[in-house]
Parts: sequence; C-alpha cells; structure tokens
Amino acid sequence: MVSLLDSLPPGLAKPCALKRLEKSGRDKVVSRVKDISPGLADSDVIISEIRGGRKAADQCLAHLNPAKYGSTRNHLDGAVTRLSPYIRHGVVNITDVRDTALDISSAKDSEKFIQQLSWREYWQRLYKEFPRNIWQDVEPYKTGFSPDDYQDNLPRDIAEGRTGIASIDGFIDELLTTGYIHNHARLYLAGYVCHWRRIKWQAGAAWFLTHLLDGDPASNNLSWQWVASTFSHKPYYFNLENIAKFSGDTVDTRIETNRPLAGTYEELYARLFPNLEPKK
Amino acid sequence: MSIVWVHEDAITLNHPVFWTAGPAVQPIFIWDTEEHDRRAYSLKRRVFIYECAHDLDIPIYAGRPCEILPVLAAGETIYTAGTPNLYVLDVVADLRKSHDVTVVDAPQLAHIPANTDTGRFFRFWNRAKKSALTHSSENQIETATAP
Repeated sequence: MVSLLDSLPPGLAKPCALKRLEKSGRDKVVSRVKDISPGLADSDVIISEIRGGRKAADQCLAHLNPAKYGSTRNHLDGAVTRLSPYIRHGVVNITDVRDTALDISSAKDSEKFIQQLSWREYWQRLYKEFPRNIWQDVEPYKTGFSPDDYQDNLPRDIAEGRTGIASIDGFIDELLTTGYIHNHARLYLAGYVCHWRRIKWQAGAAWFLTHLLDGDPASNNLSWQWVASTFSHKPYYFNLENIAKFSGDTVDTRIETNRPLAGTYEELYARLFPNLEPKK
Repeated sequence: MSIVWVHEDAITLNHPVFWTAGPAVQPIFIWDTEEHDRRAYSLKRRVFIYECAHDLDIPIYAGRPCEILPVLAAGETIYTAGTPNLYVLDVVADLRKSHDVTVVDAPQLAHIPANTDTGRFFRFWNRAKKSALTHSSENQIETATAP
C-alpha cells in the first residue's frame, strides 16, 4: 500500500486526515472522539473498559474454549467469548473465528459455538435481502395485541435503569456502563420491555444500538423481533426463577426486589397475554 | 490513486477487498459524526470504533464519505468491503455516479443452496451446518484466496 495522497483534480480542496495520536493514552482517544463528535450530549461521559482493536480481539480469541462455551453459554457467568464487538465491526472475520474454534476443538465440541456464529450470519443474510425493512415488523405480533397497543417510546425509568426491579436495573446498569451484556440478559431486558411494559420492540432495539458495542441493525433488531413475536411463533418471556437459575450469585434475584417477575410461567402468561388462550 | 474505504463494518486490513485491490492502494477511514449522531451512538460506542480504526495506523478523515472519497480517489477506483448496511449501500450508490466502485464480500461461514427457505433460523442451520462446521482449509466451496 502507498502512504500518501497527493494527486487531486484542480479546484478541489484536499481533505486533511486527522493528526495521528500517540499509541498510548486512552484519555487522548476519548478527548479526540469528543472533539470530532460535536453532536454528542455533554452528559454522555461513560467509557467502556472494553477496548477496540485487533490486539484486544486476539486476547478474547486466546481465551476461546468452544467445548466449555457449549456447556455454559446460557449462564451469565458462562464461558462466553466477548468477541461480538470485534466480529460486528469486522476487526476479526467470522470465518477466522470459526477456524480458530475448529483448531482448538472438534466439530462436535465446537457446534454450539459455531451455531451461535451462524445466527449472526443468518441475520446478516436477511438484512441483505431486505435492507430497507430492518425497522419493520416481519410478521404480526402473536401476543393477542396489535402494534397500536404498544408504546412508541422508551420510558426514562428504563433508559436510566430505575425501574425498581433489581435484576432488570442491574442488567441496564451493565449495559450503560460497559456497552456489553450477556445474550441471556439481553433476552430478559427485551422481554421485560416488550411484554411487561408493552413497548414497541423498535424503541428497545434503538436503545440497545445506542449502547451495545456490538450493536448492528440485523442481529439486534431481528433478535428483538424474535422476543416480541414479530419474527417467531410465540413471544419470549421468562420468570424470576429462570434468572436465578442462570445468574448464580451475580444478580439480585430476591422476590422482594423483583416482584413483577415472580410467578409460574402459567401465571405470568395469563398476566402478560390476557387476550390469548390460557397456557395449559 | 485507488482508495480502499474502510468503513465501520470491516475495520481491518485483513479482508479480501485488499487482495482484490492490490498493493498500490490507500486505505482510509472516515469519521462521519453526522451518521453517528443519526444513529445516536453513545460515547463508549464511538470510542470503541475510533480505537479499532486508530489501531490500523491508516489516515482517518472527519466528514461525509460522499464528499471525501471522490476527492481523494480523483477518478480512480474506490474499493470497499461488502455489507448490507444501508448507509454504506447508499454511499456506494452515490459514488458510482462518478467513480468505479468495487465492493468485495468477505467469505461466508456457511454455503447453502440459493433456494433454501430461511424463514426460521433452524431451517437455515439444517442446511448450513455441514459447511459451517468445516474449517476453511478443508472447505472446497470457499473461493477466496490470498494473494
């Protein structure tokens, strides 16, 4: 590759590249980003501990354990890779990640991990097929409600993590401070927004895209639709017992601080989807 | 001089677009704050993206790609990585009014027949599983080759 740009048609002003920053010093990066982002709100000051770049991606890849991932991935403290921000921005190629997994483990032991990579590819293929429909409902809701029954905007208590439900507020805090949350926590938040609060999935999806370092319209929006039931056979919902099962000691799952989520699946189904036939 | 536009969906120099473009190209990244504002990216997202781009040690310009790329390319071919991202698609469509633009896709994880019903993930997975679980070095269908 050549290093400089020097030939321009006459009459055109040559754009100037930004002055390169020193390699060290994250403060300088943050300062630069603020300088070149005049539209950013003054109140937006949170920086994630997760760093961008190939070196950071390689550190995640070095810890990849496909077999352990397969057996623990649904647990919030499971052996997930945290590679998704790097895959989303193409810092690492998805086929290279797959090949690394197959170098470490057999195809059988790598299957759950590679299946999860395939979800991303699946969403991307759908996005490529219908790029201008990524904010539209793919199918009708299967919740007994119509789109008009759902709020358009995300309430402030959700956006700020002040719902009063301890587990939900904990997940939101992690989203806001790190820009990364476990996939299961994403499902809990999306289920809460769509079904407990009856808010349009689009509002929740946009909120995630603001904060998630790995947020991309395909995986994010279509996953929200999977939860909402506009791209699945039924709505995804959960109960407090499920959060407790998969979170271990990492999340406050006491009943007294999480009452709206407590109950059997049958009870919650009747409460959340009163227009549907009772769940047997 | 030909340009490779490194956009936010492929912040890498290890992509087939570079094999297609050849060695005499200038990769650049463009910081489009208007687009970030439109997408309501938080500071942490912007910092992450900037760090990824900065890590490549390539020129970073601030502005709109449709304004910067034609000036820098000055009539030469513009290369970029393929993506379904509407923002990139719209920029490419605009650039093609005045320039030759070559879009190169990354290799896919899985190879499935074109007529496969992809209405649900597991229909896709059942057809994709075999090739998805095969290492690139063994996957005969993979056509991308290094220079």
